Amino acid sequence: MIPFNVGGAALVALIASGVLATSSNAAPPPGAAEYASSWAEFQALRAKAHGGQKKTFADLPDWSGIWEREVIPGYPFDPNQPKGGPATAVLTPEFQARYEKKVADAKRGVEWDNLSYCLPAGMPRWLTEPRLREFIVRPETVWLTTEQQSEVRRVYTDGRGHVPDDEAFPLWEGDSIGFWDGDTLVVHTKNMRAGQYQRRQPDYTDQVSTVERIRKIDAQTIEDIVTVYDPPALVKPWRVVNHYIKVDEGAQKDLRINMWSCNENNNVVKDESGTTNFILPGEAGYKNPSTLGRPLVQ
Amino acid sequence: MKPNIVVLGLSALFIASSGAALAHHSGAMFDSSKEVSLAGTVKEFQYTNPHSWLVVNVPDARGKVTEWSFEAEGPSTLLRAGIKKSSLAPGDKVTVKGHPLKDGRPGAGLVSVTKADGTVLNPRPGAPR
Repeated sequence: MIPFNVGGAALVALIASGVLATSSNAAPPPGAAEYASSWAEFQALRAKAHGGQKKTFADLPDWSGIWEREVIPGYPFDPNQPKGGPATAVLTPEFQARYEKKVADAKRGVEWDNLSYCLPAGMPRWLTEPRLREFIVRPETVWLTTEQQSEVRRVYTDGRGHVPDDEAFPLWEGDSIGFWDGDTLVVHTKNMRAGQYQRRQPDYTDQVSTVERIRKIDAQTIEDIVTVYDPPALVKPWRVVNHYIKVDEGAQKDLRINMWSCNENNNVVKDESGTTNFILPGEAGYKNPSTLGRPLVQ
Repeated sequence: MKPNIVVLGLSALFIASSGAALAHHSGAMFDSSKEVSLAGTVKEFQYTNPHSWLVVNVPDARGKVTEWSFEAEGPSTLLRAGIKKSSLAPGDKVTVKGHPLKDGRPGAGLVSVTKADGTVLNPRPGAPR
């Protein structure tokens, strides 16, 4: 599947011009197995950055604009995944079996995605989704947003720690804290809900946690080096490099993001075979978007 | 009586690349190996999230009308492709191409719309056709 968008042409041009390194040409990410946990990695990065720098509005990097994940067919979590798979994660036997069954089921036409219930993607799947994004940078917090159901990740950079364990519970976007290492935002995220990296990608548990290093590598590209830790599912941490491309340029310079609700027009259902189908207009159970929640419209 | 449907065979390349941008659900319900082309009249253009839908009344050779529903991308993607809410109005004569539902009901994943004046609305310009 090709998640095409009109920014794709610009992306192709960037690749052709060599301005943007493609995933296959990018430098390989650093080794991912040198830390025992995501927290150990985050702590090590923070120590290396001497605790991180407090930013003011004057010295924050400019991440303004509208961005979109680079266009990769099938939305694999790892852009370096070979075309058609398999995923590059090293999975435990249980999660390898789950993954292989999911792919086999999809190939025989049986596929369901909880996103079709109009639930959020959540982290770390959030990283893989298409759709428009904005990154709002302030001294004490960074908001990482996507238009898809207006999902917002709040990264606290004011020095606070994570939510205490006795208050924690699984969250769609998890609980994120971070610090600035120069113009690189280093983020630790935990307390996420179990889910899947993408439809034809592996699953993750609610023990998943991540370390991200996010920076603007050129005027059109924000890079996010992500390391995922999830001991029940991953034999070793899974480190990938994602790129988000600026799309509000040229003919699209006035592009804007509008809030949208997935329930506005969702007539997707799981049928008796467990796969995805629709209720069509006029059929029993159809929710007509022209009248749903609109008492003044008959 | 079947409506005026033309079913086209598709290349392996197209099959591999179809179902574009259907990010909120699987494309398992569509037969991406087939493409239908139907001529009819727009009943409604639902310019909505997470997907837009174009509902078209399609007459067969004897005049019997079947309501076909075509799923397309949401507004932000369509707008970036130059397809506006005002691009399709009830009563417009159109020919719509799409990947039909596997179960035979009158629904499809929208590929393109050709209006009476020849204008082609393509949500994914540049993608393999």
